[in-house]
Amino acid sequence: MKLKQIPKTDLDYIEVYAEKLKENPKFFKQQKELIESQLSSSSNLTKKRFSKENFKMQARAHLKEIGVCS
Amino acid sequence: MSPQNKAYSIENNTIIIDRELTKLDLFVKDFLEVLKRHSDYLVVSGFVSISTGRTRGTEDVDILAQKLNKIEFALLLEDLFKNKFWCYQGDTINEIWKYIENGSNIRFAKEEEMFPNIEFISIDKSKPVKYFEFTHPQKIKIQDFEFKIPPIEFEILYKEIVLAGKKDIEDAKHLRTFFSELIKKERFKEYEPLIKKELK
Repeated sequence: MKLKQIPKTDLDYIEVYAEKLKENPKFFKQQKELIESQLSSSSNLTKKRFSKENFKMQARAHLKEIGVCS
Repeated sequence: MSPQNKAYSIENNTIIIDRELTKLDLFVKDFLEVLKRHSDYLVVSGFVSISTGRTRGTEDVDILAQKLNKIEFALLLEDLFKNKFWCYQGDTINEIWKYIENGSNIRFAKEEEMFPNIEFISIDKSKPVKYFEFTHPQKIKIQDFEFKIPPIEFEILYKEIVLAGKKDIEDAKHLRTFFSELIKKERFKEYEPLIKKELK
């Protein structure tokens, strides 16, 4: 794929990436790594913050604090 | 006509994406396996872009489900709890039903996890725009995980016109580019007036 112009904005880069992905699905491997790394970090953070025994009670208190649950 | 690229193909009107499943896919797959026993569904918003290659993280996956009555919903809840999901809003049908009754969304995650979570959105004919996409699904398949999403053109316009945040505009750009060979311009014309009703 030849670039029409040098990407400048975030949207330009998204377009280039999507075009590259169509040519080469191996890019999906990088995407998988990124997604799973985020999930792993979130999970570790949750485990550090809330005890296993009182997980739901502590999680709901936190959700109320941040306004996700009433 | 099948698109000329290596990342996806079309078989029997189903979009087949050529990639491995992620842990996020498996989480959604687990949830849908339970939900499908109780209700029709549609996966919408960020997961549509992410499942088709958009490189960004997400905390929640939005799923539309048909509005159930209290008894039907209690059975769904029991099945979800049995399959190790917990609900942010409560542990009993009476605690959770009040949210469904007044049209609020509720969230489910796997036991002892907060993220990712499913944002569960009950819908019926009183929400005509959502009901339209719900009743005009596009099938998509990744390995053995087949699920339903809105028509790609509908999802793009909904993100551009209704949601319209930076993340949504970027998701729409990804979909426009990735599916450029599949997109039908006449569908944009068909869907645009309908989607604009959501703004009123």
